[in-house]
Amino acid sequence: MTQFVDLIPPPARGRRSGPRGSVFVWANIVVLGWLALAVALLAVHDVLGLPVWVALHALLLGAVTNAIVIWSEHFVVTLCRVPGPPPRRLALGLTVLNLFITAALIGVAADATVVAGAGGAGVAVIATVHTIALFRMTRTALPGRFGYLVGYYTAASAALVLGALSGAALAIGAAQWYVRLWTAHVHLTLLGWVGLSVLGTLFTLWPTTTGTRITDSTLTAARRALPTLAAGLLAAVAGMLTATVWVTVAGLLCYTAGIVLTIIPLRPATTPHGPAAWMLAAATAWLGISVLLDAVRLLVAGSVEDLPGVVTTVMPVLAVGFAAQVLVGALTKLLPVVLGRGPAEHRAIADILARGWQLRLIAANLAVPLVAVGLPSPLPQLGWALAALSVATFLVLALRVAIPVARRGAFPLEPAQKQAHGTTSGVLAGLIAVALAVAVAGSGQDTTATAPVSAPTHTVEVTLTGMRVHPDTVDVPAGTRLVLRVTNQEAMPHDLRLDTGQHTPRLHHGETALLDVGPVGETRHAWCTVAGHRAAGMTMTIRTPSDHQHTTPDSHSDDNGNNSDTAPTAGLDLAADPTPGWVPRDATLAPTTATLHRIELRATEQDLEVAPGRRERRWTFADTSPGTVPGPTLHGRVGDQFEITLINDTTIGHGMDFHASALAPDGPMRTIGPGERLVYRFTATRAGAWLYHCSTMPMSQHIANGMYGAVIIDPPDLPAVDHEYLMVSSQLYLGAPGSDNQVRKIQAGQPDGWMFNGMAAQYDHAPLTAHPGQRIRIWLVNAGPGDSTAFHVVGAQFDTVYKEGARLLRPSETAGGAQVLDLAPAQGGFVELTFPEPGHYPFVDHDMRHAENGAHGLFTVTEQHR
Amino acid sequence: MIDIWTIVRFLHVLGAIIWVGGQLTITIVVLPPVRRMLSADDRAGMLRTVGKRFAIITMAVFLPNQVTTGVLLAWQHGVTWATLLQPGYGRILAAKLLLFTLVMVAAALHGIAQARHQPGKARAASITALVGSLGVILLATALAESTAH
Ligand SMILES: [Cu+2]
Repeated sequence: MTQFVDLIPPPARGRRSGPRGSVFVWANIVVLGWLALAVALLAVHDVLGLPVWVALHALLLGAVTNAIVIWSEHFVVTLCRVPGPPPRRLALGLTVLNLFITAALIGVAADATVVAGAGGAGVAVIATVHTIALFRMTRTALPGRFGYLVGYYTAASAALVLGALSGAALAIGAAQWYVRLWTAHVHLTLLGWVGLSVLGTLFTLWPTTTGTRITDSTLTAARRALPTLAAGLLAAVAGMLTATVWVTVAGLLCYTAGIVLTIIPLRPATTPHGPAAWMLAAATAWLGISVLLDAVRLLVAGSVEDLPGVVTTVMPVLAVGFAAQVLVGALTKLLPVVLGRGPAEHRAIADILARGWQLRLIAANLAVPLVAVGLPSPLPQLGWALAALSVATFLVLALRVAIPVARRGAFPLEPAQKQAHGTTSGVLAGLIAVALAVAVAGSGQDTTATAPVSAPTHTVEVTLTGMRVHPDTVDVPAGTRLVLRVTNQEAMPHDLRLDTGQHTPRLHHGETALLDVGPVGETRHAWCTVAGHRAAGMTMTIRTPSDHQHTTPDSHSDDNGNNSDTAPTAGLDLAADPTPGWVPRDATLAPTTATLHRIELRATEQDLEVAPGRRERRWTFADTSPGTVPGPTLHGRVGDQFEITLINDTTIGHGMDFHASALAPDGPMRTIGPGERLVYRFTATRAGAWLYHCSTMPMSQHIANGMYGAVIIDPPDLPAVDHEYLMVSSQLYLGAPGSDNQVRKIQAGQPDGWMFNGMAAQYDHAPLTAHPGQRIRIWLVNAGPGDSTAFHVVGAQFDTVYKEGARLLRPSETAGGAQVLDLAPAQGGFVELTFPEPGHYPFVDHDMRHAENGAHGLFTVTEQHR
Repeated sequence: MIDIWTIVRFLHVLGAIIWVGGQLTITIVVLPPVRRMLSADDRAGMLRTVGKRFAIITMAVFLPNQVTTGVLLAWQHGVTWATLLQPGYGRILAAKLLLFTLVMVAAALHGIAQARHQPGKARAASITALVGSLGVILLATALAESTAH
């Protein structure tokens, strides 16, 4: 059985203007309105300082979503011959949907997370209601041959529910899951909501557009393609959420197979003619190409780490080539159905909508390869301009017919309306030429503009990584001309935008851009404009000294009343009792046994005792939970192999740097994002007391907050001793990690205290023990981040000093002795001594400022009981 | 002060005013009433006559004037072939020249289509030329701005 499909249902009961009354006309005008907003935003987002994704969401969430909701409902009502909802309910539903869409858009653009989250959740609720309504409509009547449509629309709506929820989660700031949620969100909405709706509709829309018959085999193919498409999408999203490359690739390939299953029964016998047919065909082709591109590029990249980069290449192709084009093509076919009454009006409206379509088609499809990232400026801008022009021209034509119909209830069919041909194509050709010329004129940095040279220029390196801006605070003297050299160090694209409106372009992995802040007079804020990144913490503050005079040591007249943190030892009571249940860090160096050292280090955040009775949040490397500062000690011999797996369990990027290894740092020392892992292998070739620490910028912050530890590689001729201890010295900076106050103190080199093994005065409260005459070896590593150490044991002398791989003193050299092992940041070594008699021997950093503020401990030497 | 360069610039701007302004006036002011009031035959004859006259003025006066004064002004600004490619003033000027060439090509196509009695193509070409010449004015304004620094 074959049939021609009439998209127009039997004459509506007494209603005017088109098949479904004025609500339907207005709903289509709303679609056109969103499309107009998308084009306008694309043109002026730079001037207004809005990120480009706002325009993208106006297109996809505004225009395309509205169109899918109204037309899916219309198709089900018309083709399945079921009664539609009353117009009032349709109008109410659409109004609420558009309110939620507006809320979501404004919420994220204005950084109002609650509004954005509510908007996203609201869209999800409406999608659910829409699905249930479609389902109930077909339950009340037999759906017949076109019942398959409900399956497509239900699957699409389910994808929108999940997509909207993941979008809401992103807007609220799901930093740790950002990459996975973001890629899932993009695929669920584009391939699920838009893709499934469009492909399902295509089985009836395409034959109608090309004037061919809908055969039973077409409808069978439609029923067969859906499970393939849905399974592919599900697998792809599952792969993204679990960060499994092969599952993602398999899912995408399965989805591509679904597209092929759709195209095969629909392939036309003759060349299609007319704008709608060409646009639908081109759009479907771009959908297939981009999904395949997505899969192949991901397969080549081989790592989910690169997924954001892959998606950002594919997304503009999907938006311009597929979504925008399919919308324009479908409206070209469908608007005459809505707006006209009778064949004469249909023809007249279709004629107007077809004006200049060849040029528009060429412009839109020429734009697609140009907007795919990777081409040098100004080609992408030119592509966006072409796409915007092509859509804008259609909009002008569509609004010219839609608005009179909405206002007067009928299309004014007057012969005088006939206009000389060539206007549309002339305007379009002219605008394209101008856009081209302006793009050429504006390309490159204007070298003729001279910068003011009166103020001193200060350039600061800024890195975007781990969903953070590093450094997140920059202090410059007032009046300094500040230039930020911004580098994106991760696969996800970022930018940086100042509150004054200046911004870097969208930076891809490894790209760098200069952001000229100009003379800094007052506090400025900057952030990444990619959706949700600001909420996730990608912000930065530029301050002048007037903002924080209270940090200078001699300013006791603090007018901010914020004095408590400024004195070096404020809040540190070294004689206080440690919190109940406190366990000191065991200073004993465990003996080495294996030759292959395999260890898992987890970057975690922990509340730890940093001074007696004072617990603060610290960043640690943990091999077992809970983590400690310093991180686990690695102890081996020359020739031993080390395999360290770093797992990032925090919300920001971290990395590792093992001084005990010699290797090209490029790969092993890279920063890994939240949830990622990295395997670091090295063979210890040289003995020494080595430091390891986090390699992520700014390292001062990562080290100051606890991300360090020691690797002890015994020299080959090392004799056994009675006690072997390890001390890692460091500075203590109180305050929340990364807080303005802490960062300021780190940059000024004004610690709140100094400490051995991660806690000030730790071994005053848990003294180390020894007996007279026992040989004690104390290994020492200075973790810094900035101060040197002068290790001394009060009342004792060293007969052995080993520093930086060399023996400076041996016991056999009878006459000489040593009193201090001095270590610059990151140096290490050991000393040996014997205690002459029982007693209490303090050990200190002999820089007395350090000793008096925490770098102090005790040896309790007691007579050995036999 | 008014010097020889003021006069050269005046001639350059005057040429642009006459050419772009003339086209705009014909399209917006003259054509609509002509279309309403004249019969199809009269209209075609009138349009051809106006078109021919405009073409003669373009070839004989406008083009030589713009090219001469334009080259002089560029020379005064120290523009060389190399600086034409540099970002900023040079590149804006290069884009402007490119667009102006396109406009002239479109104007020529308009004449050809008119002569072949292809009203649709003629109209498309003339509107392309008009929109393009507005773009030339836009770039000229940008050029003036970039020298103001
Ligand atoms: Cu770190």
